[in-house]
Amino acid sequence: MGAVSLKRNDSSSVLTVFPESLPETVRAVISSYPHLVGITATHVANSIELIYSFDNWKGEMKHLLVSLPEKGAAVESISSQIRGAYIYEMEIRDMFGVSFIGHPLPNAKLLLPESYPQGAPPPLLKTVSLEQLMQILNEVQMQEPPSSVIPITGSSRYSVESIVILPFGPYHPALKEPEHFAIALEGEKIVEARPRIGYVHRGIEKLAETRSFLQTLFLVERVCGICSFHHSWTYTLAVENLLGISPNKKAEFLRTLVAELERIHSHSLWIGLLGYWVGFDSMFMWLWSARERIMKLLEMIAGNRVNKSFITIGGVRYDVSDEKLKVVKREISEFEKEFRRITEEVMSYGPLEERTRGIGIYHADTAISSGAVGPVLRATGVPYDIRKVEPYGAYPEVSFDVVTGNRGDVLTIAEVRVKETFESIGIIQQLVEKMPSGNPVPSAFFMGTSKDGEAFARTEPPRGELYYYIRGKVGMRNPYRVKIRTPTLPNLVLASEAIKGYTLSDVPLILTMIDPCFSCEDRAIVYINRKEPFIVKLPRAAPQGIGLGCSL
Amino acid sequence: MEKNSSLRLVRRSPWLFHFNSGGCNGCDIEVVASLTPKYDVERLGAILTSSPKHADILVVTGPVTRQTLGSLRMIYDQIPEPKVVLAIGTCACSGGVFRGGYNVIGGVDKVLKNVICIPGCPPNPRMIYSIIKKFYENQLGGADENGSSKPEKE
Repeated sequence: MGAVSLKRNDSSSVLTVFPESLPETVRAVISSYPHLVGITATHVANSIELIYSFDNWKGEMKHLLVSLPEKGAAVESISSQIRGAYIYEMEIRDMFGVSFIGHPLPNAKLLLPESYPQGAPPPLLKTVSLEQLMQILNEVQMQEPPSSVIPITGSSRYSVESIVILPFGPYHPALKEPEHFAIALEGEKIVEARPRIGYVHRGIEKLAETRSFLQTLFLVERVCGICSFHHSWTYTLAVENLLGISPNKKAEFLRTLVAELERIHSHSLWIGLLGYWVGFDSMFMWLWSARERIMKLLEMIAGNRVNKSFITIGGVRYDVSDEKLKVVKREISEFEKEFRRITEEVMSYGPLEERTRGIGIYHADTAISSGAVGPVLRATGVPYDIRKVEPYGAYPEVSFDVVTGNRGDVLTIAEVRVKETFESIGIIQQLVEKMPSGNPVPSAFFMGTSKDGEAFARTEPPRGELYYYIRGKVGMRNPYRVKIRTPTLPNLVLASEAIKGYTLSDVPLILTMIDPCFSCEDRAIVYINRKEPFIVKLPRAAPQGIGLGCSL
Repeated sequence: MEKNSSLRLVRRSPWLFHFNSGGCNGCDIEVVASLTPKYDVERLGAILTSSPKHADILVVTGPVTRQTLGSLRMIYDQIPEPKVVLAIGTCACSGGVFRGGYNVIGGVDKVLKNVICIPGCPPNPRMIYSIIKKFYENQLGGADENGSSKPEKE
């Protein structure tokens, strides 16, 4: 499990829909399948195929297939029914040139660099090669040097005197990654936050189509440096499903072991940074020094701390000896003691609780309609964890609880992450106990060609559900299409909603409560055209077309 | 290259400005990890500053994308002389695995001068520490006439 191939003739999970009847079909589907996993577009011979994937919180998926002609592709937007859909639609509009009728941001451009010319072909079409794109973009850059000014925040455009538009980023000390937010303030209160992402867009989906299956594994690992192993694992699950390869049991256990170590390092990183954002620097230093123990283990197992390159198609790249597993067991129980001491101390510290309780409150309904995933969703009480609903790796063989909270705010999310870390420690102890014998390393790396078919895979990285879709064509050494839907993307829709009404000093806390990983989403995400004016209307009712935080 | 001890590349306590030009976050967290207790570059007087006007070293991580190029130049111009650029990670050195992507220009040395490259995916915090220690001890040579400088062997 974890990866499933898409069987188009199976009418229980796949529905072929005419573009005209998409809205009513979606309306019927979301009553029993409320979670929109993602929208995948693929360019196949003269048409653009859209796959809308839904989940019913139990791991059962429903896919709607819509086929559109390549020229003048247009379909009704479903964002009025599922709020989070509009961001996926913007991505497809930019990458494939599909227009969405009734979209709240009809002219906003996504994901591409500012210098991307209007008339140039959308980058993910099969009719345009990487070389042609490079040539077009290089020419534009020669004529028009890139500007360093942040375009959408010029305040002269606003006639309302009580509204101030404050630029936040792209290089802001609170954010470790370049993202820009235009924050509309009335007094000190946030009326609207409009993110403008796309600084870290590297065009990975296009690059993947030019590289072999094995090369793409190393490429997708570098989508994000924090959940790097989960990216390579999800990709591998999909490829293995496509090619009919299955790894042995020890490989599954070792993969799960590294994945859980990664979750611990990512969660302790975020909890540490929470201290940094609230001005509790000792907390930051304590947690990061505890985290080094996990980094040391990862280095021992995989040879590298961050981009581990531990997994390969059909197994893992290195066996882990029993001596090393003993070290893992010893160190993890040491880490547990240290982590318990630190978190008990900091989470019971009054000022920290005061600073984070009731900040960025959101409800389960908002989270679901935004498509939020991971600890952010679980904090509202929805027990949606891919490790449970669609078990993969060695998760069916270990026992653990899905941690949930009862309200969505910064403090609850922090508590959920702390408890999840303890669950991960428990999983690692069980894995080391039950580690099977055998050789997890395949005899040769996969260098072959693909079969016809398509497969998708989902895993649960530290930030939430990660979704990969891979399509193969027979005889090709490269994947025909790789689609990545990262967890930060729908979570950001939620964060820009939750930020409304709070004060400016809460901005770093609320924006980062989702544990954003902009490099994840920027491989293909948000860019809003500077030519579209940023209009703020009073009274407070959120106007149409105002950016990510708009009401749909 | 002969060492000129009278000429320091940067002052004794180098202050860093961190710039993510399109990286995957891997190098960024290793830069932050090198500041935390285990490696602790702060004992060499190196701190991460929030303003480029206070910085001596521009730490760049990630390949330069078309969208960040303008900001990178602007921030580089704001750092007072003498300044050096530390390209951390293979992507910042050459574009790395993303080389050839339509939105990727390439390594930092394509757009800035005086770049010291630390390859690795990502380089270990131990490596980052040892380079900053070399700045502290003034063991790095100045720039040659092409404008590029390399870490010098002992």
